[in-house]
Amino acid sequence: MEIRLRILLLTVLLGLSGSLSGCATLHHLFGHDAPAAAAAADEGASTDRSADEDSTPPRVIQPEVERRNVKVPRIKSQDIELGGYIGTLNIEDFGAHRVFGVQAAYHVTEDFFLQAEAGRSKAGRTSFETLSNISLLTDNERWFKYYDMSVGYNFLPGEVFIGRNHAMTSSFYILAGVGATDFGGDSKFTANFGAGYKVLPTDWLAVHVAVEDRVFNSDLLGENKLASNLEAHLGLTVFF
Amino acid sequence: MLRCARLVSALGALLVLLCLTVNPRPAQAAGAYVQVFVRAPYLELHTGPGRGYPVFNVVDRDASVDVLKRYTDWFKVRTTSGVEGWVAAHDMEQTVLADGSAFHYDVGDLNAFTSHRFEAGFFFYGDYGGASALSAYGAVFANPNLAAELSVGEFLGKASNGTTVDLGLAHIFYPQARLAPFVMLGTGIVRIEPKATLVQPDDRFEQSAYVGGGVRYYLTRRFFLRGEYKEHIIFTNRNQNQQVDEWKFGFAFFF
Repeated sequence: MEIRLRILLLTVLLGLSGSLSGCATLHHLFGHDAPAAAAAADEGASTDRSADEDSTPPRVIQPEVERRNVKVPRIKSQDIELGGYIGTLNIEDFGAHRVFGVQAAYHVTEDFFLQAEAGRSKAGRTSFETLSNISLLTDNERWFKYYDMSVGYNFLPGEVFIGRNHAMTSSFYILAGVGATDFGGDSKFTANFGAGYKVLPTDWLAVHVAVEDRVFNSDLLGENKLASNLEAHLGLTVFF
Repeated sequence: MLRCARLVSALGALLVLLCLTVNPRPAQAAGAYVQVFVRAPYLELHTGPGRGYPVFNVVDRDASVDVLKRYTDWFKVRTTSGVEGWVAAHDMEQTVLADGSAFHYDVGDLNAFTSHRFEAGFFFYGDYGGASALSAYGAVFANPNLAAELSVGEFLGKASNGTTVDLGLAHIFYPQARLAPFVMLGTGIVRIEPKATLVQPDDRFEQSAYVGGGVRYYLTRRFFLRGEYKEHIIFTNRNQNQQVDEWKFGFAFFF
């Protein structure tokens, strides 16, 4: 009886071991690593296949699109201002007369600019010359020619409006500088200072109204004195 | 007087006409302008190129604008909807180009002061042998230390007036320093117009040579101050050559 029971239990155990294939202890015991061996065999076969493919050139995509050479456009600057003016120059002792000139400016910042001016006017006769009917200067010596280099400062920037649809930027400015004046057969070191107002109808065009004084030491009429020559002009400039 | 009044009225009429009729220039072909993309939360557009002009429009992040032109530190831009306004340079630094690189506006710095190709300047104070002098100069740099310089000046004195043209070399000792000393050597010509009341002497053209030195002091952006001393030897046809000391001080910029 006891022997039969043992045989039955052993038979059940064997039967279970066959059905429980996931049991780790019994996995290798009953040859359950067969799938691994099969996988190894598959790998060997694939190695053989890749060896076959090495003999043919690999398929590489060759890009046929040429790289575009992108050139970034240059940003146009408008720091340089060129133009001309017309006005009246009061030449001390010689009356007020028409003056023409050209001007160029370089705008360093929105506040500061450097400006060069050159102009000419023709002096009239002094009161003494008119009354005594003699000439102190020759015709050529009556040309009043000057140039100067100045530093300017914009202040009170603003906008002016024409109607509802037009707005123009504007600014007051002051300037001071040095230069030379050729008058009466002599050249004189000249200091100039003044103030002006400009309106820009567009970004590249400016209309100026300016008043400047040009001061130099003069001994033209016998005594050495500081000659002050006030000028008022209306100018038109273009920004480049 | 009538002619003057006519001229002024004609000029005035022309100006009013210009103010009223000049429209913004027609848009140029696409691609003619630099396109930038906003990376800051927004980009402010001002009505004019100045810090005081009001902001009238903003461009959203990731939107693009075309950069039309630059005036000092301000850029005029146009949005995709056609609105044009001015943007400050420091705001433009917050944008990127189409390739993703940052937009950069070169205003000049100490490195550029150290090494640049050209410079020009104006001496607003000068003394040429006792006469007041004005002059301007331009220079081309072969390397940061060596420059060829051309200087043109006018001196206005009690005894004589005249003009000078000098051509020479300048050697800068420490171009990387903010205060950089230099020495100069060169030659030139001088035109002297003596002043006389009784006998009017002829103008004289003389050749000259000079040696000198000075300092350059970097201010900001592209600007620096320059002060220098030159000792000129004027080769006269008299028994003795003439020596003239020249001092001058001014400002200059490089580009």
